[in-house]
Amino acid sequence: MTQTQAIAGSRAHGNVPGLAVSQGGNRGGPSGGFRHWWPFYAMMAPGLIFFLIWHYVPIWEAKMAFEQVRIIPPNIWVGLKNFQMLFSSPVFYQVVLNTLIISGMKLLFVFPVPIVVALLLNEVRSSGARKWIQSAIYLPHFLSWVVIAGVFIALLSPSDGVVGQITQALGFPPVNYMTNTGSIRWILVLSENWRSAGWDSLLYLAAIIAIDPALYDAADIDGANRWQKIRYITLPGITPTIATLFILNMGMFLRADLNQVINFQNDVNSSTIDIIDTYVYRIGLNTGEYSLATAAGLFKAVLGMGLVLISHFVSKRLTGRGLW
Amino acid sequence: MADEFTQRRARTPMERIESALILSTLLLLVVVTVQPLLNLLALSLSDPSKVAGFSGLSIIPDGFSPNVWLLLLQHPYVQRGIFNSVWMTGMSVLIGTVGTALMAWPLSRRELPFRRTIFILVLVTIVFEPGIIPDYFLMKHLGLINNQWSVILYQAVNAWYLIILVRFFEEIPEELLESAQLDGASQFRIFWSIVLPLARPALATIALFYLVFHWNEFFRAMIYLNDQSKWPLQVVLRQFVIGGDKVAIVGADNAANNIGIAQINIRALKAGMILITIVPILAVYPLILRYFTKGTMVGAVKG
Repeated sequence: MTQTQAIAGSRAHGNVPGLAVSQGGNRGGPSGGFRHWWPFYAMMAPGLIFFLIWHYVPIWEAKMAFEQVRIIPPNIWVGLKNFQMLFSSPVFYQVVLNTLIISGMKLLFVFPVPIVVALLLNEVRSSGARKWIQSAIYLPHFLSWVVIAGVFIALLSPSDGVVGQITQALGFPPVNYMTNTGSIRWILVLSENWRSAGWDSLLYLAAIIAIDPALYDAADIDGANRWQKIRYITLPGITPTIATLFILNMGMFLRADLNQVINFQNDVNSSTIDIIDTYVYRIGLNTGEYSLATAAGLFKAVLGMGLVLISHFVSKRLTGRGLW
Repeated sequence: MADEFTQRRARTPMERIESALILSTLLLLVVVTVQPLLNLLALSLSDPSKVAGFSGLSIIPDGFSPNVWLLLLQHPYVQRGIFNSVWMTGMSVLIGTVGTALMAWPLSRRELPFRRTIFILVLVTIVFEPGIIPDYFLMKHLGLINNQWSVILYQAVNAWYLIILVRFFEEIPEELLESAQLDGASQFRIFWSIVLPLARPALATIALFYLVFHWNEFFRAMIYLNDQSKWPLQVVLRQFVIGGDKVAIVGADNAANNIGIAQINIRALKAGMILITIVPILAVYPLILRYFTKGTMVGAVKG
């Protein structure tokens, strides 16, 4: 699941109800007892078994990070040796750095775009035109990264892509942006914007629509112009939403989106956009260094969990809304 | 609403210019979003002899020929990919929707014993992801390497969708259930004949979520499915467009002798492949707009 989807889901659906309930009221109930509840557990059984096998067995398997994997089991316990190896490898630092740089660039240059799009959409008076624009700009969010990478490879082709045609008409030399280490991170930023700037604006638009219309009416009577209304009503109205999404985005800082990067990666640009996830994939499944790869994955998982939890509780405290 | 109010007021020239600027910015956004896709469509429908010099700016086919689409749709890899994608996505949607609904209904009952524990169990999986290597070993132990079920069963019950559905089920009025309980209906009967019919829009939303998610999934299929005959369309597309493996798609014989599909410009073939992969998403796009947007908007306003 991509981070935007995750955030969209959480933002749209607020708190997990179960956690809000006080602990005391959970056990028993009015008609409590096994006779009443067993059908419910029977219904949940397939889902619960799925969660235990599919999500909890891998957590157990992650102990490989502390082992030397042998072709013939059992594995040997080696303690922190894999982590020592990991932290002494310059490639690993490069990979962590790349992850942080890409996440940072996305936070700066992707995060604000949907806010602007939502503000613009809100200024369109005719609801027919607005719906039409929305239908068009939401579309890329539902395309796979394979498709989007394919579209971008075509767009950026130096010989016959639209970008090359325009830049060369303006007198710039032809550049293959896909195989250029200086530009590939910007291509990630651009393609992320192409994919989500439209769809992510929906959350802000919903927040704008929830603002009390009486505020705008009052502003009209006072003779406020468009910018004053945006500045003094709309923006303050959606600030809690912006704050929530910003903090939750910070929590996803180590997830630079494997699905995107792996489709934009090629032999030439790989050193600049190699992230933790692609590193784990490469040394694990391609080279077969399972223990080292698991250690790198676990490093990311633990730090990532810390970030997500911190951002969740900070967001809950500051804005009342968390990840769940 | 404020809209009508401002519309009735006379607008100054400055405001008109502003409106025009805003509208043109958005139109530019629409063009930037849609033009690349239309360009690929035009490219794939152009006369094969004219593809070589086809401009990236154009959205009108140069000449017309359905050859690219016909050749691709007759290609065994593509046909196999379409079949696999439909089968895998279909099973995923079915299992996902049923499994999620079955788990969400009990969890929406506030007095359910251990409800909080189960929620924490689910939330842990969102927060802590041990990564792909442990997952790979799980698949190995389950004997699912090179087996499509390793992809189909992935996210069989998605934690986020589960939470969305629980939230929806909680809104079902208690009175509806009580009368059925007094009539002696079993919990399964209540779920089947009262809860599910009421939840139809929510179930449609969840099913669509699963549909889009699984149709677009490629990473697991790429890792776990070794045989090309088992690949979904996304992986076939990836090998061809991202990997640039022309021989893989046109066939070694055709490529060597430059006959059949090999004669078609690779640009046009890639464009056609991309669009074939998008078609199902476009087919359900009206539904997506209806359910996704409504669901998100309603939730957000309430939330």
